[in-house]
Amino acid sequence: MSDDLLVLDHVEKRFGGLKAVSDVGFRVPRGSIFGLIGPNGAGKTTVFNLITGVYRADVGTIRLRSAAEGGREQELVGKAPSAIAAAGVARTFQNIRLFASMTVIENVLVAGELHRRAGLIGEVWRTKHAREDEHAVRARARKLLASMGLADVEEAPATSLPYGSQRRLEIARALMLEPKLLLLDEPAAGLNYGEAESLKAQIRALRDEYALTVVLVEHNMQVVMGVCERIHVLDHGITIAEGTPSEVRANPKVIAAYLGEEPTSEGEGEAGGESETAARPEAKAP
Amino acid sequence: MRRVPAVVLFAIGALTCVGLDLAYDGLVSWDRGSKFWLHILVVCAINVLGATSLNVVNGMAGQFSIGHAGFVGIGAYLGGAIVSNLALALKIPVAALKDNLSLGQSFLLLPVALVVVGLVCAAIGFVVGLPSLRLRGDYLAIVTLGFSEIVRLTVLGISADSATNPLTRAIASLGGSLGYRGPKVGEDYLGVPSVAGPFWTVGIAALAVFLALRLKRSGFGRALRAVREDEIAAAAVGVDPAKYKVTAFVLAAAGAGVAGALLAVQRDGPGIVGPANMKFDKSFEVITMVILGGSGSVSGAAIGAVLYTVIFYASEEALHQLAQAVPAFGSVDAAALRMTLFATALIVVMLVRTQGLFGERELFEKKADDGTPKPPSPSSDDATGTAKEALAS
Ligand SMILES: Nc1ncnc2c1ncn2[C@@H]1O[C@H](COP(=O)(O)OP(=O)(O)OP(=O)(O)O)[C@@H](O)[C@H]1O
Ligand SMILES: [Mg+2]
Repeated sequence: MSDDLLVLDHVEKRFGGLKAVSDVGFRVPRGSIFGLIGPNGAGKTTVFNLITGVYRADVGTIRLRSAAEGGREQELVGKAPSAIAAAGVARTFQNIRLFASMTVIENVLVAGELHRRAGLIGEVWRTKHAREDEHAVRARARKLLASMGLADVEEAPATSLPYGSQRRLEIARALMLEPKLLLLDEPAAGLNYGEAESLKAQIRALRDEYALTVVLVEHNMQVVMGVCERIHVLDHGITIAEGTPSEVRANPKVIAAYLGEEPTSEGEGEAGGESETAARPEAKAP
Repeated sequence: MRRVPAVVLFAIGALTCVGLDLAYDGLVSWDRGSKFWLHILVVCAINVLGATSLNVVNGMAGQFSIGHAGFVGIGAYLGGAIVSNLALALKIPVAALKDNLSLGQSFLLLPVALVVVGLVCAAIGFVVGLPSLRLRGDYLAIVTLGFSEIVRLTVLGISADSATNPLTRAIASLGGSLGYRGPKVGEDYLGVPSVAGPFWTVGIAALAVFLALRLKRSGFGRALRAVREDEIAAAAVGVDPAKYKVTAFVLAAAGAGVAGALLAVQRDGPGIVGPANMKFDKSFEVITMVILGGSGSVSGAAIGAVLYTVIFYASEEALHQLAQAVPAFGSVDAAALRMTLFATALIVVMLVRTQGLFGERELFEKKADDGTPKPPSPSSDDATGTAKEALAS
């Protein structure tokens, strides 16, 4: 039996008449970088929202396993989002959600709340614990910002940053939680070729440095194929394939989904609005 | 700039408050003179406390409550009842209770009353805060308004004849539309004693501002603002929005209750607590103070409260003077004039400076968004170091 950190089983989510996710299951090996792809509306973000408790799965189980072999399993379905975050699941958002009126460093500091010992009274009283914790949390936030290349904008309002920096700030904020599992929702959106290349290196470096397991939702195939060890493919809420990047790339069902039922690997792939380099699984991967 | 130790600050503050209190005692006659202004100081302080507490829930937590007067009212009735009954129980002579009590006597009555009022209102704030977990914006506002109206109408609606059980009898003893005038002593009502002078009012208001500033700058305050900005993102980083929102309601309610109690038992006070304390326009007054000063700014809300109070009395005084010079002004309704003034002020603020005088910033705090880094806080000396290292590497 492999050592999986996250296990989804028969997960289903309906929005009114629409089955956004139906009977989806996958296992994310501990320490891996796992891709979750599919055309627009496939249900990828919904899966993230189910894992993080923003929505509650109608059917199925989502379990987080502790490191020890045969160790404790936590059922995430039914838990509050904040409790799931506390259990070690951090995420970024497809449509960036920063705390708008707050500075860059404050955005990261918020995610340090969990690691404080002092309660409300202790913090207002500024007890020794509270001061030590604030100091430690700040130091860690600075380190994360520096590693994301945001050291010189710490005190700027978060929303004044350019788009790419806002995405990196979201990653820094997520890492502040000291998560076991990091869910990235389209981190490469809007990046050019060079930026996407460095994002790939960055994701690997983060995984290694912070001992993370990463689930990556991404349309940019250059990134997905280059960095993921396994890839799970959804279409219309249904699993259509899973495997290594080369297996997935060769899978006719995947090609059909991306090219709109056309089983050729050439031609104009009408895959979905947002990104063009994005939508083609056969697009050049290094 | 050297930092003054907190103990020294507290000592100076306490001495100032005692000094003000004694000065108040020394000014004997009520003649629209100096004592008038010292009395305004007392009212200012109570309003600062009201605005500071409302700012925690409306400004910092971003939950729009328009029922603040409900908590103020409960605090006023409860505080008035505790103080007057306690005074009788402690055998303070009735004759003395008709006059302003001394600072020494106030120490017998107020600590107990304020702690009880704070705790009771905190508990009620918890209950009223619960809907904030499911409702937002206008819907939540309506619930808070409903709360304050329920409290007011309950006091108004239960009369001595309709009271059948201990609970309704207790409510009926609050006097309904006539207001609460303390327990009966012989034929007459005692009246709510005048206990809280500048020492208590200014002291507690200053303490509240201090605590609110610390709250805002703590990790807790940061999380509260994060919840206000984006609940989903806050929850995603482990901040439980429910806990923070309800805590904000609890803190605001406790502060409002204490403000109400002080209002009821202030020096040269009305001696009576009326249901009008809980009317919507009282909530609206406090909201005006917060919005004028800058929602989310502790010093802003406090300054808003002071401005409001000073304009309130100054316009009255100006009208009074004017009416003596020009008799025709005698027929101008001071309350209507005031409403017009504040409505105009609010409209101007909304047009010119939506965020209020201070926005979310504090007095003496630099703007963050002009590109220049904020002055380093005491604990952030290593900040620039790390940043430089990062740039150098
Ligand atoms: N809150 C919601 N209410 C109703 N329908 C929803 C909701 N969230 C998602 N959906 C629907 O569920 C389906 C899956 O959406 P989802 O956002 O998960 O897709 P996605 O794979 O992330 O797509 P994209 O690549 O465009 O981000 C879509 O049809 C979407 O319209
Ligand atoms: Mg999506």
